[in-house]
Amino acid sequence: MAGLFGGSALTQARRALLSWLPFIAAIPLLWLVQHFWAEQPDWEYAFQNINHIGIAIILAVSLNLVNGLTGQFSIGHAGFMAVGGYVSAVLLMRGPEQDPYRLFFIASIAAGAGAAALAGWLVGKPSLRLRGDYLAIVTLGFGEIIRVIIENTRLFGGAIGLSPIPRYADFTWIWTAAIATILITKRLRDSTHGRAFLSVREDEVAAEAMGVDTTGYKVRAFVISAGMAGVAGALSGSFEGNLSPQSFTFVRSFEVVAMVVLGGMGSITGSTIAAGVLTLLPEYLRALANLRMVIYSVALVVLMLVRPRGLLGTREIWDFLPWRRRKGAPRPPAKAPELSEALIDVRRATIRFGGLTAVCDFSLTVKPRELVALIGPNGAGKTTVFNLLTGVYPPGEGTILVRGRDTRGLAPHDIAHLGLARTFQNIRLFRELTAFDNVRLGCHHLTRESMGASVRKGELAEVEENWITQRSEELLAVMGLLHRRDDLAKNLPYGEQRRLEIARALATDPKALLLDEPAAGTNQKEKSELMQLIRDIRDRFGVAIVLIEHDMKLVMGVSERILVLDHGVTIAQGLPREIQTNPRVIEAYLGEKYAREHARQIAAGRVQP
Amino acid sequence: MAEFFQHIINGLSVGAIYALIALGYTMVYGVLKLINFAHGDVFMIGAMVGWYVARWTGESRTPSIPGALLVTLAAMAACAILGFVIERLAYRPLLSSPRLSSLITAIGVSFFLEYGGQYVFGPNPRAFNVLPRHLAQHLGPVSLGYVDIVTIIVSVALMLLLQRIVFHTRIGTAMRAVSYNSTVASLMGVNIDLVISFTFVLGSVLAAVAGILYASKYPSVQPLMGLMPGLKAFVAAVLGGIGNVPGAMLGGLVLGLAEQLVSGYLSSSWRDAVAFGILILVLLVRPSGLLGRGEAEKV
Repeated sequence: MAGLFGGSALTQARRALLSWLPFIAAIPLLWLVQHFWAEQPDWEYAFQNINHIGIAIILAVSLNLVNGLTGQFSIGHAGFMAVGGYVSAVLLMRGPEQDPYRLFFIASIAAGAGAAALAGWLVGKPSLRLRGDYLAIVTLGFGEIIRVIIENTRLFGGAIGLSPIPRYADFTWIWTAAIATILITKRLRDSTHGRAFLSVREDEVAAEAMGVDTTGYKVRAFVISAGMAGVAGALSGSFEGNLSPQSFTFVRSFEVVAMVVLGGMGSITGSTIAAGVLTLLPEYLRALANLRMVIYSVALVVLMLVRPRGLLGTREIWDFLPWRRRKGAPRPPAKAPELSEALIDVRRATIRFGGLTAVCDFSLTVKPRELVALIGPNGAGKTTVFNLLTGVYPPGEGTILVRGRDTRGLAPHDIAHLGLARTFQNIRLFRELTAFDNVRLGCHHLTRESMGASVRKGELAEVEENWITQRSEELLAVMGLLHRRDDLAKNLPYGEQRRLEIARALATDPKALLLDEPAAGTNQKEKSELMQLIRDIRDRFGVAIVLIEHDMKLVMGVSERILVLDHGVTIAQGLPREIQTNPRVIEAYLGEKYAREHARQIAAGRVQP
Repeated sequence: MAEFFQHIINGLSVGAIYALIALGYTMVYGVLKLINFAHGDVFMIGAMVGWYVARWTGESRTPSIPGALLVTLAAMAACAILGFVIERLAYRPLLSSPRLSSLITAIGVSFFLEYGGQYVFGPNPRAFNVLPRHLAQHLGPVSLGYVDIVTIIVSVALMLLLQRIVFHTRIGTAMRAVSYNSTVASLMGVNIDLVISFTFVLGSVLAAVAGILYASKYPSVQPLMGLMPGLKAFVAAVLGGIGNVPGAMLGGLVLGLAEQLVSGYLSSSWRDAVAFGILILVLLVRPSGLLGRGEAEKV
């Protein structure tokens, strides 16, 4: 217990506080602006707009967490805003007459945020397994249902709405919340959790294979975003002094989506700027009276046509400044003692797709540091074996043990935690992320910091972040990719993409590495380099390697044991030498007729086996 | 029991209109993977053009069947042009951009049509008299509104025609090919631009007819009338399995019936919530809609 109250906890708290200091210092400044400026009658209209922008920023930045960073498509944000607004308004209207220190106000905002977050969880939990447009329509549906429920509830004032709500929210409150939203989202995005969000957006299958709990992260993004929308709703209600269900229709949600897309998916400063532009645009057009919304809509279309990826794309304003920071000592990775004999133990696994038996009665054991190759003609079921091992498909029959643990019922990310990492036949990098981020994502499941710690920037978060940086750079160096550190994965040449996938897989600290055709599309020279690289990886990282490969020179040169599949059936198993002369293997590869021919030639001594 | 049949008739008539609009959503989604949020407003423009033409020809004073046909044809022509222009100006430039960008232009176009409609037409509803008024027919205790009968007959005829176009013509085959894989379709010599334009025109024409029928049913026109039916029709398209033509028809009918039964037996203020509730339940059980086929991702 001493540690809890000792130096480390104190330093941690101090560091967290320090990192928030500029923000805390800014609050009195905001208050000064409010006191000496915003309350001037001449400025009332201007500050009304400024406050509307603040609320729009909270909405846009929070929705960006779901739509931009996590790549899920939600168009029900107005519903969560309504939940937050109504819950806090109901409390405020029943609250004490006087609230000099605004304690009750803060509590009501928190209650609104909590209720909205709860609503987000209730909506997100069942619906986030849907994808793309289906998710969109379900969120839209939930948003509308929330509005209909409010319209039919007497407590919430029905269709007329609630009024008067105590008007506590002013410039100080709204902009404190807006800046806090930006900072929290930015810190989340820059942490290991932020990379996990991005990995879900880029490629869910690869993210799971790297040990990212994709469903969990989708729900988390959704809940946090809904909670923030709840804050926006609470502030909006208390700022306007009234709430009506008509202001929370799907049109409102569309406006927020427009801000996110116009700003650039995933760009926090982009969302912020777009929130300002799209809030001010109709105000500036007010002189045009009836035509203003017509022009607003044309402007929206034109802006989108001119900048199809949004104002800032996926970048941030500060990305134009070269600014990096690296410091701190690395933490050595914790090595668990290796006990079990067989890393992977597959017993009689079978899987069928409809009438097709893709893999039948498959058994395989892989010991630590072993180099096993899986070969066979196209369509033999090799990749399916990898999919079985990594939990992409559960086996129909049989059991798969990874480090002694039955993997039935485990999600791919759980199996990644057990120590299996893989690469993909059709490269599945997170294409829009840098090489460095791809590798850092591999480290994700080794981190322990909480989301709260990431936001607070506690010591653990920082130490881990340094360790991840160090480890990722090492891995990039080992794979000869350090010069590509900050290039987007999609811009790397093919061979380097394959090596980056291996680096990313190694970053998960696996016990066994599954390589799916690493030599595909490479030339002879690269193949011999790869052969050396595979041996090096085994020696350096002490991992077992299971290799799917068509290049026989590579397979024979590197593997200690070979397993041959044909039409889902294991037709041979043994040392490379034995496989080369096995008649069934030759038959599978060359066809029956040529196999007989080949055998005759061997018998006649005309060719070497 | 009579009440029940009455709700069924009403539900079928509303559902048929939803289905007509939903077909436009689903076909566009099929070829472009785009939710054309402006589609509900194309439906509104169809009704509005009908209103103007009816006033111009004097149809609104002396409704007649040939007059109604003329009005409908004019609305169809106007919406065909509108659909073509929207696609050319707002969507085609973004064909190679992220999908969400064209969604925002769709929302922009939708706002444009709504607010433009308010500017030109005025925000208030105006009476819509295009179909001749006949007294309701009575089948025992169930009354069959003239508009309902026309709606159901016209919709069924159009859906059969569409089925014919999509499954038995060259352009329909091309549409299905583009929907399945547009890159491969273009390599096989399908003119994708033409197919996309055709799809928009076809969907808009159906929306125009739906607009005339809807405006005749509640006999009025106003610039925001496309909002809710458009959204419901989109729900219907997703319910049936988006991208799937028979699915859109089924989804429209299911939604129309469900809504009428809910407003009949529960309360009309919960109608919208129930429509979405059904959608959510169906999607949770069958994530790709009633008739949609799930696509497994190859790893």
